[in-house]
Amino acid sequence: MKNVILILVSIMTITSGFAQVRVNGLVTDKQDGTPLIGVTIREKSGAGGGISDIDGRYIVSVAGSESVLVFSYTGYATQEIALNGRTELNVSMGEDANLLDQVVVVGYGTQRKSDLTGAVGSVKSKDIERIATGSVAQALQGKIAGVYVTPNSGEPGQGAIIRIRGTGTLNNANPIYVIDGMITYDASFVNPQDVASIEVLKDASACAIYGARGANGVVLITTKTGQKRENAVISLNTYYGTQQVTKRIDLLNASEFAQAYNELTNTAYYPDPNALGEGTDWQGEIFRKAPMGNVQLSVNGGTDRFNYNISANYFNQSGILKNSEYERVTLRLNNDFKVNKWLTIGNNLAYSNSKAQLAPGVVTSAYRMPPVFAPKDSLGNFSDPTSPFGLAIANPAADLFYKSNNHNKADRFFGTIYGEIKFLKNFTFKSNFGFDLNSSNEKQFTPIFQVSPSQLNTSDQLWRRFGQGRDWIWEQTVTYDQTWDKHRVTVLAGYTADERTYESFGAGRSGFPGNADELLYLDAGNDTTQVNYGSAHDEALISYLFRTNYTLMDRYLLTVSMRVDQSSRFAADNRTGVFPSASLGWNAGQESFIENLGVVDRLKFRVSYGILGNQNSIRNRYYPSLGVITSRLYYVFGPDEALNQGATLISIGNPDLVWETARQTDIGMEMGFFNNRLSAEIDWYNRYTYDIIAPVPIPDYVGSNEDPIVNTAQVRNRGWDITLNWRQAGRFAWNLGAILSPVSNEVVALNDQKSEILAAFLQGEPATRTVVGEPIGSFYGYKVIGVFDSADEAAGAPRIGNETAGDLQFADLNNDGKIDALDRTNLGSPIPTLTYGFNAGFEVAGFDFAADLLGVTGNKVYNAKKSFRFSVYNWEKSSYTDRWTPTNTAGSVPRITNGGTNYRVSDYFIEDGSFIRLRSMVLGYTLPTALMQRAKINKLRFYVSGNNLWTSQQYSGYSPEFGNDGTPYEVGFDNGGYPIAKSWQFGLEMTF
Amino acid sequence: MNNSTTFSSRCLITAGILLLAVTGCQKEFLDRKPLGQLTYDTFFENGQQATEATNAVYNQLRQWDCIAFPWITCTDIISDDADKGSTPTDALYVLEVDDFTFDGTNSSFSGVWRGYYRVISRANLAILRIPDVPDMDPILQKRLIGECKFLRAYSYLLLVQWFGDVPIITEPLGGDSYYNQVRDNQSAVYDQIERDLLDAIDALPEKAQYASSNLGRASKGAARGMLAKLYMVKKDFPKAEEQCLAIINSNQYSLLTKYSDNFLRVGENGAESIFEVQAAALQPNDGVIGPGATPYNMIQGVRGVPNLGWGFNRPSDNFVASFENGDPRREATVIYVGEVLPDGATIVQDNPEIINERYNQKAWVPAHSGLQDNGPGNIRLLRYSDILLLAAEALNENNKPTEALMYLNLVRKRARGTNNFILPDVAITDQAMLREKIYKERRVELGMEQQRWFDLVRWGRAAEKMQAVGKNFVAGKHELLPVPQAEIDLTAGALKQNPGY
Repeated sequence: MKNVILILVSIMTITSGFAQVRVNGLVTDKQDGTPLIGVTIREKSGAGGGISDIDGRYIVSVAGSESVLVFSYTGYATQEIALNGRTELNVSMGEDANLLDQVVVVGYGTQRKSDLTGAVGSVKSKDIERIATGSVAQALQGKIAGVYVTPNSGEPGQGAIIRIRGTGTLNNANPIYVIDGMITYDASFVNPQDVASIEVLKDASACAIYGARGANGVVLITTKTGQKRENAVISLNTYYGTQQVTKRIDLLNASEFAQAYNELTNTAYYPDPNALGEGTDWQGEIFRKAPMGNVQLSVNGGTDRFNYNISANYFNQSGILKNSEYERVTLRLNNDFKVNKWLTIGNNLAYSNSKAQLAPGVVTSAYRMPPVFAPKDSLGNFSDPTSPFGLAIANPAADLFYKSNNHNKADRFFGTIYGEIKFLKNFTFKSNFGFDLNSSNEKQFTPIFQVSPSQLNTSDQLWRRFGQGRDWIWEQTVTYDQTWDKHRVTVLAGYTADERTYESFGAGRSGFPGNADELLYLDAGNDTTQVNYGSAHDEALISYLFRTNYTLMDRYLLTVSMRVDQSSRFAADNRTGVFPSASLGWNAGQESFIENLGVVDRLKFRVSYGILGNQNSIRNRYYPSLGVITSRLYYVFGPDEALNQGATLISIGNPDLVWETARQTDIGMEMGFFNNRLSAEIDWYNRYTYDIIAPVPIPDYVGSNEDPIVNTAQVRNRGWDITLNWRQAGRFAWNLGAILSPVSNEVVALNDQKSEILAAFLQGEPATRTVVGEPIGSFYGYKVIGVFDSADEAAGAPRIGNETAGDLQFADLNNDGKIDALDRTNLGSPIPTLTYGFNAGFEVAGFDFAADLLGVTGNKVYNAKKSFRFSVYNWEKSSYTDRWTPTNTAGSVPRITNGGTNYRVSDYFIEDGSFIRLRSMVLGYTLPTALMQRAKINKLRFYVSGNNLWTSQQYSGYSPEFGNDGTPYEVGFDNGGYPIAKSWQFGLEMTF
Repeated sequence: MNNSTTFSSRCLITAGILLLAVTGCQKEFLDRKPLGQLTYDTFFENGQQATEATNAVYNQLRQWDCIAFPWITCTDIISDDADKGSTPTDALYVLEVDDFTFDGTNSSFSGVWRGYYRVISRANLAILRIPDVPDMDPILQKRLIGECKFLRAYSYLLLVQWFGDVPIITEPLGGDSYYNQVRDNQSAVYDQIERDLLDAIDALPEKAQYASSNLGRASKGAARGMLAKLYMVKKDFPKAEEQCLAIINSNQYSLLTKYSDNFLRVGENGAESIFEVQAAALQPNDGVIGPGATPYNMIQGVRGVPNLGWGFNRPSDNFVASFENGDPRREATVIYVGEVLPDGATIVQDNPEIINERYNQKAWVPAHSGLQDNGPGNIRLLRYSDILLLAAEALNENNKPTEALMYLNLVRKRARGTNNFILPDVAITDQAMLREKIYKERRVELGMEQQRWFDLVRWGRAAEKMQAVGKNFVAGKHELLPVPQAEIDLTAGALKQNPGY
């Protein structure tokens, strides 16, 4: 393709100044010779253009008989043909081979998809740009089989949690991100519109080259590079839209709350509940319709020697929660420069600057706040909800007012600079330096205020916090490429060094002369109140890598790779990990005996096996082998109450810690039917993680402030990744696709003496149990069999305490006549057993449409926000409508209580977490080329799009997805976080 | 071609040298130590660090679990001295303890269990490592170990009184012993406490022997006082008498002239103070909790106007009624609506949400510079009058009523002050009648100072007194708190629950 352009460019230089010429011809399908209707014909450097008619015929007027015509048709390869004096030109067009045999990015290189022996999922820019989000990870949701994406929260600027092929560890299960070769754990700064493609490496063969960091999968993000072309392409892409919360939680209104409170206290505290009416809708008080907008301007171009892509982006998102704001400026400069025959240098540089305002955590307090209060009382003061309802309750309106002066600015300079030397004909040496400089600057001011005894601030405080991370990787690789007749060999060997350091400090003062922004700098405060602190950590990794790809006759494929990692995280004796993998592929579709069948156009089998490490699982433990002494454990002595330093061992070290590793087997098959219109990719995998490093809960008598980390368990994730696509080219081009990822997660062994890991303690009781034979972190508690109709019924039944009429009845599972700890059981898993997605799209007469659906099933959610009651909070409607009362003794839910046995960990709080969501939908219209060319515009497209417009879920909360970055045995708990939003956008895309 | 080959060779050689150079310093590159933090291996290198490790044990004493909700719940609120307080529906899990409707999952019990085992753990580490600190002043070395042993013994004394048999852990636990501890017999726990306290008595200086800047550290007198308490629990009255008299005869302590001064700033570490949790309202470091403070004052502070806190731990009707007519200690112990607070200025306003509004005046502190949960009040764990009453109690049990009366009347005399119309001297010498007088005196003298529950249990009167105020107390069960359910779960039942739970 590039060569064609090159030739054309040279021809172009000698064609100019000819008179108008009419050209006609017929456009046909190369496959079957039928005429193609609606093919766009455009003069490459002129104003001429047209569209083929119902018979496939066309007539265009061009500047001269030496012009070049460009034939484009959705789903077909675009052709550029020089007239060379002809006035009749018949063209036959073939389907775009790139769609079938594209080049995909793999670790430390690229490969033809047909040569791949590993499981790699790929998403191109077109599908990423469609989702209006500032987060690359969120844009991946529902796009690739085996890749499960959960938004962290709806807070603007937040990313998402990605799980590739299940949850393979008891600790941090996030994949690593490799952005143009630089490894990072946080890709939140990447502007999705700068992304050319995202490849997700799923199996051991693909991931092994990332060794100690590959066990959770690898997300490769490649940003757009400059393309060699005659005229630079200038693109403008902008959208503006509005967001709102996807749903509201059904809570009691004021009169219902008053009735419930009367029942709770068995009083007539509210003499006439009905008189209170609706009261305050606290969700309405904190949520809002919020705008979001994006402008992207980029210039892309290049010559034989120098290619460039420059982009500037401004993204601004207001949160659906009041006082949460996010804006980000991203600049990107990607260049490559052929210095001479043997040397190429280049860079991918990105700078981002973000500013966020963080709202206080009022989502939970709005959920809890009784509706009988107005935000402010009749005197204009914020209402104090603690009387009579208890101290653990805060007025969200007051928090929003007093605690929103919380700003965070971040700068990130991220990129790679490389030099590539070709030598000895088949060798390429590449030295790649990647860096990531990031700094954060936080400013938080809380004025003096008092709403209640527990919601107050008695001295004004200004806190400043600065953090700086400096990460770098230096990679040296040598690649040997050789093709003989039927053999193709690529050998890669490399050495990399990686260092990451982080340092932060903070300072605070109080006693400011006022609350005005211009006064809120430390020096304005009282210097006798000053405090400061600072801390740092670092880590290093040295790695050797090796990979061989061998292809015989384009049919028989072999990949062998190995990485040796040495990490500073482990004690010297346990520092080195070796991570090998091997895989085989067979392009059976190219065997004549298969070709002759005429059934499949493409058929490929793959099998791979490898061992990967998961250093990520101790992401926040930088020195886990060492016992770390914590200081600042102060105590005062003496009549002057002098602060004395105290220090002791808080983090227990474990020098015996060894690498957590995953063995993964993958068997895959790729097929194409009906001229490759139908393609299918099916993988079966078995991912077995052993020596899992994780903190384990220990009894309190050990006296440790932290749980120790040990190599504790083995977990198996076994499942299928299935991708099906139908792609129909033509005037009415359409596509349908589905991804299906059933996965079963099972704990195979717990190495320690312990037979179970109990975690997620809620009011003294564990709410999850991790035990051999069950998924990680399965909910664990009592099973509810009903509600006691009467005190007599309760008295006669096995009980856990003093349950009476209207209380939950728990199942006596061991039939010993009493309810106790032995009656607890597995109550379901928070891990979905199936994640799936559907996508559909069409293009016709300038219109384009695309939609994505995604869903999960088989997971449970613990409605923890409903089960926490430290004071009298509002109740959910579900606790009220059919509650037990003396007059409704057949009620299906318990009487109104605020503590006691009804709040024990039980399946009363467990709900179905399945959902299906219309993740995105976009409808666009591209103005006809002929029309636009007169305005010197290459392309002009308008679109409307929507995200999360429709969701079908059983769960009563905002959403059954809560990105919990904690340990896997504490996921699936809805503690009331920032909900996700649904949004509408209107956009414009223009290229010159 | 030739040129290019030469160039390529040069490249290869350069790359090779680079590789070797980088590989050479690899070990250094990979050996990382925590930044700004010492490690287990680099700590305990000098006397300063040994002192810091000991200070960290004290530090745990002022953490939430040890002196806030769990502590007050398992001492005052559980007893007949106090009710939960605050508004009726606030913190109902505390009410469960007040009402004896709890089980092993109540966070109050896991709180004190966790809190005091953390004291023990920090002490164990210091006791293990301080003897090996190089070039250390032997006097300091001995004293620090003594302080840690005192703190460890104090923690076990609390745990054994609450839970009965508890695991005795005297060294830092390794990974293979996290889950297999069993409860040691109560008498073995007593022996452990006794050993530690005898060592502490030997190692520690008297209060006055400490440099002023070290005021607040555990002293010989404090260790003797805790030992006396242990002997009282064991009903070993002769030994209790011995320890009490040793404290009295050390002339380190005396009663303050004015009872109420004990609980004001002026009384902190005063002549009557034997051991206190030290606190100061300093600016918060990062976040909310101050570096030298406790939430003790906030939790019990007046809730309403003036707003000093949350209003928990309300002195009960039964307790208020237990004072003799005119006993000024009642006014010094209880804050009522309409009362002028000890700062002499503020008057407590009625809060209509709180029924029968009262507060613990001994936890009162004036408005201060710190945040509300940055309470500056020291927590008086052991006062001289407590020792005088223990002396009286032990002497009476040892059939020395005359001497017993002397100490009892010292306490009453001070309480009476200059008002000779109240609190007359006791003259009864009948052992059983005198015992009642002493028991009664302990209650009013030490009311709301977290002593009552332990006294009732050791006297064997918990059931009688709890049932008298209508609590669901089951005799033979509720004298001991349930072992936290989470501990039993985590040890897969190696820890057994107390009977009845």
